[in-house]
Amino acid sequence: MRKSNIAILLAASITVGMLAGCAGHAPESGSGSGSSGGETIKIAVAAPMTGDNSEYGIGFYNAALLKAEEWNQKGGVLGKQIEIVQYDDKNTSEEATTVAQKIVSEKDIVGVIGHFASGVCMTAAPIYQENKIIEISPSSSHPDYSSIGNFIFRNNTIISKEGAASIDIAINDLGKKNIGIISIMTDWGTNTSSIIKDLISKTDAKVVAHEEVMEGSDDYTPAITKLNEAGADVVICCGMYNLVAPVAKQYKQINPDIKIVGFSNSYSQQLIELGGDAVNGVCFPVIFFSESDNEDVKAYVKSFTEKYGNAPSALTSQAYDSVGILLTAIEEAGTTDSEAVREKIAAMDYKGVTGDTKFDEKGDVDKSFIKVTIKDGKFVKLD
Amino acid sequence: MKGKNTLLHQYELFVDHNKLILAIILAVIILLFPFVIGSQYLLTVSVKIGSYVILAMGLNILTGYTGLVSLGHAGFVAIGAYTTSLLTVRYNVNFFIALLAGITLAGIVGILLGMPTLRVSGTYLSIITLGFGEIIKMIAMNWNAVTNGTLGIKNIPKPSIGGFSFTVSNYGLYYLMIFFVIVVSCFCLALVRSKTGRALMAIRTDELAATMMGINVTRYKILAFSLSAIFCALGGGLYATLIGYIDPNTFNFDVSTMILSIVILGGMGTLRGMFIGAIILIALPEVSRFLMEYRFVLYGVILVVMMRFRPQGILGWRSTMPFKLSKHVQNELNDTDLIHQTHVGELAYE
Amino acid sequence: MLIQQVFNGLALGMGYALIAVGYSLVFGILRLVNFSHGAIYAFGAEMAMLTISLKFGVLPGILAAMILTGVLGIVIDKVALEPLRKKKSPQIASLITTIGISNIITNLLIVFIGSEKRNFQPIFSQTTVTIGNISISMTQIMMCIVSLLLMSVLMIIVFKTKIGLAMRACEQNPKAANMMGINVNFVISFTFFLAGISATIAGALVSGYYQIVYPNMGFMAGLKAFAAAVLGGIGSLPGALLGGLIVGVSESMAATFLGSTYRDSLAFIILIMVLIIRPHGLFGRKGITKV
Repeated sequence: MRKSNIAILLAASITVGMLAGCAGHAPESGSGSGSSGGETIKIAVAAPMTGDNSEYGIGFYNAALLKAEEWNQKGGVLGKQIEIVQYDDKNTSEEATTVAQKIVSEKDIVGVIGHFASGVCMTAAPIYQENKIIEISPSSSHPDYSSIGNFIFRNNTIISKEGAASIDIAINDLGKKNIGIISIMTDWGTNTSSIIKDLISKTDAKVVAHEEVMEGSDDYTPAITKLNEAGADVVICCGMYNLVAPVAKQYKQINPDIKIVGFSNSYSQQLIELGGDAVNGVCFPVIFFSESDNEDVKAYVKSFTEKYGNAPSALTSQAYDSVGILLTAIEEAGTTDSEAVREKIAAMDYKGVTGDTKFDEKGDVDKSFIKVTIKDGKFVKLD
Repeated sequence: MKGKNTLLHQYELFVDHNKLILAIILAVIILLFPFVIGSQYLLTVSVKIGSYVILAMGLNILTGYTGLVSLGHAGFVAIGAYTTSLLTVRYNVNFFIALLAGITLAGIVGILLGMPTLRVSGTYLSIITLGFGEIIKMIAMNWNAVTNGTLGIKNIPKPSIGGFSFTVSNYGLYYLMIFFVIVVSCFCLALVRSKTGRALMAIRTDELAATMMGINVTRYKILAFSLSAIFCALGGGLYATLIGYIDPNTFNFDVSTMILSIVILGGMGTLRGMFIGAIILIALPEVSRFLMEYRFVLYGVILVVMMRFRPQGILGWRSTMPFKLSKHVQNELNDTDLIHQTHVGELAYE
Repeated sequence: MLIQQVFNGLALGMGYALIAVGYSLVFGILRLVNFSHGAIYAFGAEMAMLTISLKFGVLPGILAAMILTGVLGIVIDKVALEPLRKKKSPQIASLITTIGISNIITNLLIVFIGSEKRNFQPIFSQTTVTIGNISISMTQIMMCIVSLLLMSVLMIIVFKTKIGLAMRACEQNPKAANMMGINVNFVISFTFFLAGISATIAGALVSGYYQIVYPNMGFMAGLKAFAAAVLGGIGSLPGALLGGLIVGVSESMAATFLGSTYRDSLAFIILIMVLIIRPHGLFGRKGITKV
């Protein structure tokens, strides 16, 4: 019967421990600055840090750290050091709700960079809006996201603009008229493919087939066979690099001449690593291009590569600029009061590595696209 | 009687003697909790724990008392959550009526799924339920016209009665959850002490012997399935309104294993275990954020270690108190003067 | 198009069959559904990717990965399952332990290798054979050959060798086998080793086919392979092969004629139908419930 005693003690101690831990408000790992002590200005990065898509979340975090470090070397903002705090939402809505509640309960967090997927952003955004916390998402592209409230911004173009750019590549640059669509079955994929379809119906090109594929199965040949039989000569691939690369591989075994067009979220070194030769010729529009001639971009890419060993991706760079926007606004406002900072952001004209950022009244940005393709395993500008 | 002097026995005696005081203290703590804490985050986590307690109690009826292991209860959660949310979002039905519709539908599906238990048992049953859970998820994903597919259902309203809205910030949702947890607990307690409960436990212990004793095993198994589905749907509906957004991936296999883990960690066939299990497993990822990616590993380790060293669960002890017959039975026995012949001994129920 | 899809489905099914064998082997001997097998499969594939990248050549790389994964199988059995057998814990305890182990393996892979999809270099040449309007890639042909070969080797081990005899004896009655001087625990560990090896071969073949590898790859594939094992009659090797092929082909058909989004549910519908109509599968022996 001694076991039961142990059991009770175990149960009691675990419960007490849990409650204490809960109440303790223990801040999470990852202080952004080299210095410690004194008052800091806290910025939260909320994104998937573990599980699927964690490469994006970690990219956001790394970019934010880099930006914070740059500012801290110049003496921080408002005389205080900047601290980046990371929150893991696992890219799921239910975790995001909890994380958002946690962030708004922390009181001293000035703004949130993040949430990765549009659906997740849109679950968390009302909580931030209600509590007047500024959220800048580097990646959300859903049309309804920014209209959730005036504290909700994004440093990414709305999907219809990006979609139009992708279609422009397919029709005008590649000169194809029979468009096939392959989309991943996530909220982003479903939404993007329906917007793309709408946009194409307004041009003289036509959608010959649309196939949806599931996450978690790597065999896309049935879908590809159907697209091919329907006579598609260009395929718009609504998915991230982890869809574009295998689709390119499997498609080129069936039809080596197929042209594939993606979106800016496939702009990542991993696309080339995963796709190898098959992704040569894949095109997509981006608002950030690391091979750009712009001096700021060059310096940024250099310091990022030095620190983390790989070139920044498009979304990572958008996160980098998002932090910059937030910090600049705080400095201009001279306070961390969220109302004042919000007004500065709304009025700001920020020149960053992802082009000029100027928010419209909804909190959206309009940016010019660079068309990128892959040639001999390297990203190059599309001529 | 063994174990008279153990800590457990003393604890149980203490609880037994001070029932009223302890209950009042507990009630005061629970009722005042939001005012003392006041943090929305902690309240959200508490409400989440509450909904998982309900889910675990639902599965407990099936797994803990009847001995049927289900690996697809996320399916029932999904049915409850989707029905409730769709009715409230699309047709502006009051949350409570929608919730009722959700649990009714889940109950019916539970009966339908319970049917195959006539043919298969043990591991095979677990696998059928696993398939069921995945199929429900696929339906939610592909039936765009109704479930809105992968886009999910957004802006699920908070429950409200006569203009009063139960939200996290006005503590309404917290008290609503407490109310439902109490209702479900009382129901489970009543069930366990009833004839039905004893029949279910008899099936768990030995199905063949139960049949011999004249228990209609099929009927009780289907009943268990249905009740279990109803509670899971209830928990699902509440969970959906708390999160405010659901999509098919909310109800994946991980949720089913999560519910099962709570039941096992707490102690199969106990009510107290459901609370401690839910508190530990829901709070663990929140508290252990510093462990980062290792916390999922830890979650697996908990399952393995529990099975190895304490398969009956943390709170899965046998009561050291003498077995008490329910008042109803006692009265009946008194009437027939049988009580003196009944041996009241170590007949402990778990 | 129909015949083309049948061939694609066959290649897919061979992969499932190889994973299904692992379920069957373990189930046959322990009456336990090893839920961690999907994770073991992913582990095997990840290890193969790492060992191949070490530049010792493809074959030694896969061999090393096979041994590593086989050892992992033994470790799982020794650390987690054998103590449960000693304590005579109920089946459910072992089942939940394997779910926990699956969680541990997958998440450790994510921690140490990363959750992203990675490139797996093709094992076979990329040429395609075209007959009429059907094109079959060399990889598909080789997948079928290797699978059949492995299946035969496993059959020989189980039916022609001494350890196979011991395995069959343990399957029939572990207690009696023990009295006949068979080291039951060794036989069980050996079975886990075999399951690990077949999972690695499956992992290397399937990853080589799609040229993709990631830690979560085992979840869906594991469940489908499990459906295949049940369909063929869990515990039976030819049954696993046939079940795998049926699941693979019907999945490919469903993807073509119903849409890719329905392919995953199909395996489960087959599974439930089989369990309700013929619970012991196509090849399985009918179990007798002892009183």
